[in-house]
Amino acid sequence: MNKISLIIKKELFRVFSDRKLIFSLYILPVLIMFAIYGIMGKMIGSMEKDITEHTAIVTVVDATEELKSAIDFSGFSGNANINYIDSAAYETDKDTIVDNIKHGKADLCVIVPKNFDEQVEDYVNGGSTLPNLEVSFNDSENYSSQAYSMFTNSVLGTYKNQLLGKRYGDVRMLEAMSVTTVILTKDEQSNSQFMKMLLPYMVVLMLFAGVMSVGVDAIAGEKERGTLSSMLISPVKRSEIAIGKIVSMAILSSISAAVTTVSMLGAFVLMGSSGGFAAMSGGVSFSPLQIIELLLIMLSLVILYVGIIALIAVYSPNTKAASSIISPLYPLIIIMGMLTMFRTGKETPTIHYAVPVYGNALAISDICSNELSLLHFFISFACTLIIGIVITVLVTKAFNDEKLMFNA
Amino acid sequence: MIEINGLTKIYKLSAKKKKELKTNKDVKTAVNDLSLTAKPGEITGLLGPNGAGKTTTMRCVATLLSPTKGDIKVCGYDTVKDAQKVRDSICFLTNEIKLDEHFTVDYLFTFFGRLKNLDEKTIEARKKELFDTFNMNDFKNKKIEELSTGMKQKASIVVNLVNDPEVVIFDEPTSGLDIVTARVVLDYLKKLRAEGKTVIVSTHIMPEAEKLCDKVAMIIGGRKVIEGTIPEVLEKTQTADLEDAFFKLFMENKESEKEEE
Repeated sequence: MNKISLIIKKELFRVFSDRKLIFSLYILPVLIMFAIYGIMGKMIGSMEKDITEHTAIVTVVDATEELKSAIDFSGFSGNANINYIDSAAYETDKDTIVDNIKHGKADLCVIVPKNFDEQVEDYVNGGSTLPNLEVSFNDSENYSSQAYSMFTNSVLGTYKNQLLGKRYGDVRMLEAMSVTTVILTKDEQSNSQFMKMLLPYMVVLMLFAGVMSVGVDAIAGEKERGTLSSMLISPVKRSEIAIGKIVSMAILSSISAAVTTVSMLGAFVLMGSSGGFAAMSGGVSFSPLQIIELLLIMLSLVILYVGIIALIAVYSPNTKAASSIISPLYPLIIIMGMLTMFRTGKETPTIHYAVPVYGNALAISDICSNELSLLHFFISFACTLIIGIVITVLVTKAFNDEKLMFNA
Repeated sequence: MIEINGLTKIYKLSAKKKKELKTNKDVKTAVNDLSLTAKPGEITGLLGPNGAGKTTTMRCVATLLSPTKGDIKVCGYDTVKDAQKVRDSICFLTNEIKLDEHFTVDYLFTFFGRLKNLDEKTIEARKKELFDTFNMNDFKNKKIEELSTGMKQKASIVVNLVNDPEVVIFDEPTSGLDIVTARVVLDYLKKLRAEGKTVIVSTHIMPEAEKLCDKVAMIIGGRKVIEGTIPEVLEKTQTADLEDAFFKLFMENKESEKEEE
């Protein structure tokens, strides 16, 4: 035990006394997270602000007095430059108007039939033609889409109510019923949907990335440089060297994963505060039992990942060979994590929780929605842990293999 | 004391290795039925050309490789059954085993001292003695990566000698060293002999072996072709110096190897 702790201390000192390594392992990921999501949040925020503050360029052909008053009454005219023209002028400038909308120089064109009021009157008196307004916009332009949305929702809503009010006296007469919507969420289900989707994916991926960055060098790198041999000729059991390496890899990668995950969550909060993503990060709370479950699942995953990476590293003659074997595992882990994102309400079969990585992602997802049963937790935790321990035993055995250790 | 009895080491050759060695054979016999005894208070030299099997023999003595046939005893312990106890009493120095470049000499000295079951007081006493002998005091707080090749070699020697081992196994002791450092190392090996330690070195530099070794064993093609004190070897081969003796034996055995093939 004493020698294991000596090796662990040396491995940790190796990393924590190397400024470059600390920067690349623990500081750079945080900076990248905050830079990416911070910039994204700021850009989304400023884009939304820009769209809302944009003065829409609108052409209205043959507007009725009531439409004009609806445009003023709804407040649409406050943020729009409206050009009222008649149909004769429209015929002359039609191509230019359409072209301007297509090229983003103008945002909206509303064509009111010349005899619109008569059509409304006829329809009331039993006419079969429903009066029709033509609204043209460019759905590939944000400004134009926003102008269309504002015009149809506020202006036409107001105008329609005005016409119906005139016709029936009270618009509410047209409503068959009113609907009151009550959102019922179990208190314990209050963790946001966003977290349920993203946390399992982040945890399984970040832990793997953390293990990968420290694990390959700790074994394959040391073998390649000939520094591992200096320990192998010391009076220490090979299993103690292997366990010392594995435990230090687990500690270093857990710190790396924790730093990355926390910074990612922090970056989301930052993004939420500056843009329209506030809902994403809100409503997250875990009970002490859930935190323990989450930590135990993460621990079993770390043991599994460290075992896999160490086994590959020990069988590889150098870091290049180890990295080329590990690289294909990366997309596999991503897929395992992503699979939990698209679960429907259908109950997941218990056996799925026994699948390493996927089962852990499922369990983390259930922790987020407070639906993880003790059985599912135990299956997920125990299966991953057992497989991880079996692989770790194989690694310690491989440390005794002269062919692997010395390329003999 | 090192007792090598009928050591044979056979490697299985991978397809890649076969290609490298340009052979169709599935195995390579690196050492063939080698017996040798290295006694305390003596420096024993393993002499031979590159690829003769010197390093493999030393690796087997140092417990890094297991013999395919035969056995090796170091201080009475079997290198396979009691590998831990053997490692406790040896120091194996070779260019292939390096120190982690990130650490300082001082840190690694303390780390390996603790790993070799020494208490802090003993570590400090050994540190003072060895750092003084090898003039390492000015460099003890420098990282290995900051040292020159010669200094790295000295650092490796100093760190590996931390436990004052009974047996010192040194593969090519002066390889890569400047003349001054080489002298310091050779003088230290003589000091170890005077202290009654068992020292075994491998070299292909015959004048060095002549000056340093009490006894030599020449290995050619994995086989020991001669063993004895230097005057004994010269007498048996009827030559004037070790270099001539080596070439005479080398040519004879080259012929016999060809005949065997």
